[in-house]
Amino acid sequence: MFGTVNNYLAGVLRSAEDYDGDNLATFLSLRDVHVQNHNLYIAQPEKLVERILKTPLDEVVSAHLKVLYYLAQEPPSYMDAYNHQAASCSAVVKLLQQLKDENWCLPLMYRVCLDLRYLAQACEKHCRGFTPGNILEKAADCMMACFRVCAADGRASEEETKRLGMMNLVNQLFKVYFRINKLHLCKPLIRAIDNCAFKESFPLPEQITYKYFVGRRAMFDSNYQMAVEDLSYAFTHCPNRFTSNKRLILIYLVPVKMLLGYLPCKSLLERFDLLLFHDLALALKAGNVNKFDEIVREQELVLIRSGIYLLVEKLKFIVYRNLFKKVFAIRQTHQLDMGDFLTALQFVGVTDVSLDEAHCIIANLIYDGKIKGYISHAHNKLVVSKQNPFPPLIST
Amino acid sequence: MENRNFKKGSCEHFCPAAEAKMRIEKRLLNYYEYKDGQKHVAGILVKEFTRSAADAKVPKAQDMRTERCLTKTVEYLLNDILLDERKPFHFAYDFIFDRLRMVRREIVIQQFEARQTIRLLEPMIMFLAYSRYRLCGEPIEKFDTKICNQHLQECLNMVLCCYNELDEDGQMEEEQKWTIREAERRCFIEALYQVFNLGTSEALVRGLTLPAAVRNDKLFKLSFGICLNYHRGNLYRVMQGLPQLPHIICAVAAAKLQTIRRRLLEIFTHAYNNKQLTVPAAYLLRLILVETSVLSDLCRHYHIALTADRKSVHFSKTDFKSDAAAIKAQREPFVDEKLSCIHLPKVLLLKKL
Repeated sequence: MFGTVNNYLAGVLRSAEDYDGDNLATFLSLRDVHVQNHNLYIAQPEKLVERILKTPLDEVVSAHLKVLYYLAQEPPSYMDAYNHQAASCSAVVKLLQQLKDENWCLPLMYRVCLDLRYLAQACEKHCRGFTPGNILEKAADCMMACFRVCAADGRASEEETKRLGMMNLVNQLFKVYFRINKLHLCKPLIRAIDNCAFKESFPLPEQITYKYFVGRRAMFDSNYQMAVEDLSYAFTHCPNRFTSNKRLILIYLVPVKMLLGYLPCKSLLERFDLLLFHDLALALKAGNVNKFDEIVREQELVLIRSGIYLLVEKLKFIVYRNLFKKVFAIRQTHQLDMGDFLTALQFVGVTDVSLDEAHCIIANLIYDGKIKGYISHAHNKLVVSKQNPFPPLIST
Repeated sequence: MENRNFKKGSCEHFCPAAEAKMRIEKRLLNYYEYKDGQKHVAGILVKEFTRSAADAKVPKAQDMRTERCLTKTVEYLLNDILLDERKPFHFAYDFIFDRLRMVRREIVIQQFEARQTIRLLEPMIMFLAYSRYRLCGEPIEKFDTKICNQHLQECLNMVLCCYNELDEDGQMEEEQKWTIREAERRCFIEALYQVFNLGTSEALVRGLTLPAAVRNDKLFKLSFGICLNYHRGNLYRVMQGLPQLPHIICAVAAAKLQTIRRRLLEIFTHAYNNKQLTVPAAYLLRLILVETSVLSDLCRHYHIALTADRKSVHFSKTDFKSDAAAIKAQREPFVDEKLSCIHLPKVLLLKKL
């Protein structure tokens, strides 16, 4: 199966002539077996390639062969490989522009962009001499060039428009922006997809990925209602056989739902090996501030690595709310002594708390609408509303 | 990209000969560059900031200063000029700001290594952070907070990148380890960065992923704890933590105080909202860290009623002027007190923290 360069080029030509985008993508993939074919490691393949392929496909292929050449060096020269992959990506842009009213080559674009991202990641890992994230950002610029061509293709019919490639690219760009922590760059992409007339006709797997990232972004913007909607969509539509993906979605979905007052069920968490949330939920439900802090401290690394540490910290005030709700349940009166709240805090192990702080915490809960009532400083009492003094979290 | 053959400076004077000659001839000297008390007699010149332009030639080696000379320049500016009291401080600030900016540019042109860059940038950060506080009451013609903030953030980002680079190196080579002094200076700057960026998730994320040595540092823990409490919404603990911060970082925190006070007062107008009841002023004073006179200013600004004897406050959520912007940052007595106890040049040059 490892033929000569000419065999390889003939194969490329055949796929192009057949408008077979998938096959063409395989010929240009860095994950395909042809990558191991030593005959293809050529430092200057231009002359050879030009003879068989037309511009700009020849540029795409030449650059690809150079990538193979540099990756075959010992040690692999990731920086050179990346630069040629970027050149290949630019040539794909030209190709897309040339093929009006046709979109069969979209799989090629997906593949080249995907490999570009992988190579950029390899550079970030192995090379020195640039600020972290710089290469990935440059890779995103290359992908944006592809994206622009796709987004601008408004004239072609719904079956033939290159706009169908937008979501795939947006998802790739999301992956880069989340990695380099530049979430603000996601906004124009989301707008582009929202304005797309046929946003429902993108393939389901792409929609799931898309919703996953959009949900995570909403979460960082503290837009929890939206985050729950998007993440739930991703979770319910993601097929069961992709356990690790479903788990990834749950890592964000569960704490966001907890913020809105939904507690996760144990069996679900068990199935996805996320019992950590079960412990958190128990402490939250009980209003056990110290236990909650303890779990956060113990699981700190896990929480930080999965990017939800800050979100979980936001749950703290809900723990307070639940604790104070218990004080109300015990006292059975609408005029509650502030000292009782202080005692409750001390009871669950918060030793360094003062009456002033208890006042401030309750003030905050009232301001957020989590407690209905007012504080009388002179009587040192919290007067709660006769109706629904602790409204359900979902409504606050 | 891995080519490190950048031009190195060879000039050992604060101001390269060519520029000095040109500026003396054309009488383009700053007040601080004349000999003390004499008109038209050149004293110590310091290389001025110039933008890179398309028509400018690549600077020659003799027009750029060596690392040693740059260090001396920074020391001269942050010691001799900073303590020069002939002119108001904003005047000295303009001069130092401009000259330090050129130092920063030379760092970039000569592509200094992380360690060298850190040593030169850290004092700049301290200077900008200090000036920002000292001049926060000045009108815009004399001091532009926004530009100062921008430069401070840029310097911080640059220095943080260098720290990261050293962290990565440290994993491979033994001799690259941090010295105790370097580690201490870094923790101070990381803590300053946290407080400067209070309320942003970028800073918190960085804080969470720093090496354990930094995270366990006492000062860093204090600053980061304040930022985490701010994120949780526990402003009480934020206010309690701020006065514990050391001098310059406390000065940085002062810039955020008015916003936090505004927020606390707004929360209180909801929580203590009642027509009959009042809240004692003493309680507010200790929570929002102000004195009685300032409290009445605040109350007037946000439309909060103070009782006649000024001993208590009447909160009403409908009266609160929610469209009033937070009051401009001002100097705070407890920060001034901290700053009065230090020898500025030593602290700004991070010789004694």
